[in-house]
Amino acid sequence: MAEIAVSPVPEVIDAAALARIQRQNRRENLGRMWFKFSRNPLSVIGLLMVIAIILLAIFAEFVTPFPDHVRPFTDFVNAKKPPGGEYLLGTDQFGRDILSRIVFGFRFSLLMAVVVLTLVVPVGVTLGMVAGYFQGTIIDTIIMRITDIFLSVPPLILALAIASVLTPNLTNSMVAVSLMWWPWYARLVYGLSSALRTEYFVSSAETIGARTPHILFREILPNMISPIFTKMSLDVGWVIIIGSMLSFLGLGVQEPQPGLGTMVAKGSDYLPTGQWWMAIFPALAIVVVVLGFNLLGDGLRDLFSAEEV
Amino acid sequence: MRKLLVLTLLSLLVFASAALAQDESQLRITFSWDTDIDPAVGDDFSSSHALANIYDTLVFPNNMASVDPWVAESWEISDDFLTITFNLRQGVLFHDGSELQASDVAYSFDRLRAVGEGYAYLMPDATAEAVDDYTVQFNMSQPDPFAVDKMIRLYIANEDVVRANYDMESDLYGEHGDYGRNWLLTNSAGSGPYEVTDYPLVGYLEMRRWDSWWNADNFHENAADVVTYVDTTEAATVRSLMLNDELEITDAWQSIEGLQALDSVDGIDVMAIPSMTSFYYMMNTRLAPLDDVHCRRALAYAFDYDQVVALEWPGTQAMIGPVPQSLGGHTSDLTIYSRDLDKAREELAQCQYAANIADYPVDVHWISQVPFEEQFALLFQANMAEIGVPVNVLSTPWGTVVENAASMETSPHIVTIYVSTDLPEAGLMLQQRYTSPTANTWQQNEWLLDEDLDARITDALLTMDRDERFAKYAALQQEIADQSYSLFLYDQLEKHAFKTFVDWRPEENSRVMGYQIFAPFIGVDG
Repeated sequence: MAEIAVSPVPEVIDAAALARIQRQNRRENLGRMWFKFSRNPLSVIGLLMVIAIILLAIFAEFVTPFPDHVRPFTDFVNAKKPPGGEYLLGTDQFGRDILSRIVFGFRFSLLMAVVVLTLVVPVGVTLGMVAGYFQGTIIDTIIMRITDIFLSVPPLILALAIASVLTPNLTNSMVAVSLMWWPWYARLVYGLSSALRTEYFVSSAETIGARTPHILFREILPNMISPIFTKMSLDVGWVIIIGSMLSFLGLGVQEPQPGLGTMVAKGSDYLPTGQWWMAIFPALAIVVVVLGFNLLGDGLRDLFSAEEV
Repeated sequence: MRKLLVLTLLSLLVFASAALAQDESQLRITFSWDTDIDPAVGDDFSSSHALANIYDTLVFPNNMASVDPWVAESWEISDDFLTITFNLRQGVLFHDGSELQASDVAYSFDRLRAVGEGYAYLMPDATAEAVDDYTVQFNMSQPDPFAVDKMIRLYIANEDVVRANYDMESDLYGEHGDYGRNWLLTNSAGSGPYEVTDYPLVGYLEMRRWDSWWNADNFHENAADVVTYVDTTEAATVRSLMLNDELEITDAWQSIEGLQALDSVDGIDVMAIPSMTSFYYMMNTRLAPLDDVHCRRALAYAFDYDQVVALEWPGTQAMIGPVPQSLGGHTSDLTIYSRDLDKAREELAQCQYAANIADYPVDVHWISQVPFEEQFALLFQANMAEIGVPVNVLSTPWGTVVENAASMETSPHIVTIYVSTDLPEAGLMLQQRYTSPTANTWQQNEWLLDEDLDARITDALLTMDRDERFAKYAALQQEIADQSYSLFLYDQLEKHAFKTFVDWRPEENSRVMGYQIFAPFIGVDG
């Protein structure tokens, strides 16, 4: 009979030592994740772009040449100046510096993404999780049929309809985008949660009499975090695009505050007359923001899916 | 085999009709919607143009600021000025082939008064009566020096056709059901040079030439077979329509840059027509902080009018007082507002809301179909920021502005509107801008509802002696300027880009709104 090797287990665990080991493990984990992440240069570029944009947005007041140009301001003498000189990216039809307005525009785009995801993720995840856990019951039917109704309307049409009923401003466009976005999280989480409910650790928890909230939030939720997080990181770019679409149609940020979509819309009137910079630079700014978040999101997705494997 | 034959015949038919359609001459014009073609409802820019082409009137406005005989060959005014008798032309045919008679005129007048919208505010206080088939008599309660001229806005509808299309399930107008309103939304019952052939309410309005028009001899030799009003003012769309030969005349709401760019294209010119139209910032005097005259004056002193005019087409003139300078009875001898920040701050200090003016943001609604209005709104916002008055700038579609104007609660602080008067007389502009009957329409956002002012404007208008009348107008203009009910921006030059093959001479037409683009007198041979 072969002897089974058993590693010696200390009788008493030193709490301080344990904390040290856990800290060390976490550090090692993070180091490993960063190593994996940094293998993909595009992800790193994405990360740098996002950090740069966030810093610009936060310190817009100090880094832009004309912070006054996002407040009530007109200067028709300097209207429609081409790029170069005092105005690096030119001025718009009201004589306002386009560079300053783009940087402040980042603020509203980021704010849109942050607020929408903060509203949408808890609601969508909770509903999807509850419906998935109670799969086959009336709760599932009610929640998921409502979700289906929302999903059956083309997302942009839904957002447009909501935004045009409400007064056009940033808050209401956030509400509109949030209302169209939550069902996607509910759908995703519903699938995950209905698969997890049959796992042994869930039935074990049920057997020992754990309450439903405990099972949902302590057993099921932690096991869905990475797909949710992946979706969020990829959604940031999309939310910004949808927000820009609404503001392109005049339903988002209102003058004199600068919305990137609004700037493209108004600038496009001047494309035929040769003042291309009014539309092109804000459009490029949208490209840069969305590209940055998408590259970063791709990197995070690869990271999480590798972790799961 | 039979199938093949049918198919061949069908395709031939399609080609033939396409070729036929090619031969028809077209006049296509863009307009800012909504276009109301009910003669008792429409009164804005596009509606007035459509109505002038679809319906005939008793008299016709000429380019010498008076009227010519039209469906009425002649008229007599009684010595006491209380009765006007119009003698109608014989053989004027409606689009269904029946003859226009005196009873149709009386019916149209009654209908306009009963419906009470559109140009009803302009009509004299009178009853109309058909004396015989070709004589119609208006009996007025008091003398009105403009009673005849005002008939340019009485569009004569075919009584039989309208009656046949009453919706009797509606009891809006008692025995008249809905007075044919539903049907007249999309159909015409006129005798004018053009007949409505297709109107889906949005998108476009198609009218076809009515060759049996009583005045057909005066059609331009190349007058268009089909006139289409196109529902857009969007710069890029208008430009591409123009460049693709799908548009002959643009709307009056294109930006200076857009017009200059079109002007530089071969085969396209731009025309700036003097009009009887002025551009107002109408202030809702029932809404804080604009219910205080000092606040209103503060805004009036803070606005940079010179900059506003500099942004407009060269030759545009600032308004002097509440009516266009081209009107008879306008006075330049007025104390008006020019930018003076010290005076603005002085006035603001006297305003009851001065202490917490930051809590009373003023909403300015500009018309989204007229994109260049935004620059004035943003200038206004920047100017007001200098005296500490917060301003929200909002873009609102014309249809919504008209809806909002219907009630005091939905009327915004300020709405920016071009208003044109119907006759070249200062008093009539005062009447349509500041008297109670127009308070719930887009022509007045001020909500004055001031019976005393109403009475004095009416009194001035009914003064038969010209000098005395003009003196009364002058006093009223000063009073309205003092009260600063509105901000007076500029007298409009109406600007259109048009194809050079279009033979269009608006200077030969009247300046009355609706007659600048009078299709029968325009030639298209492109």
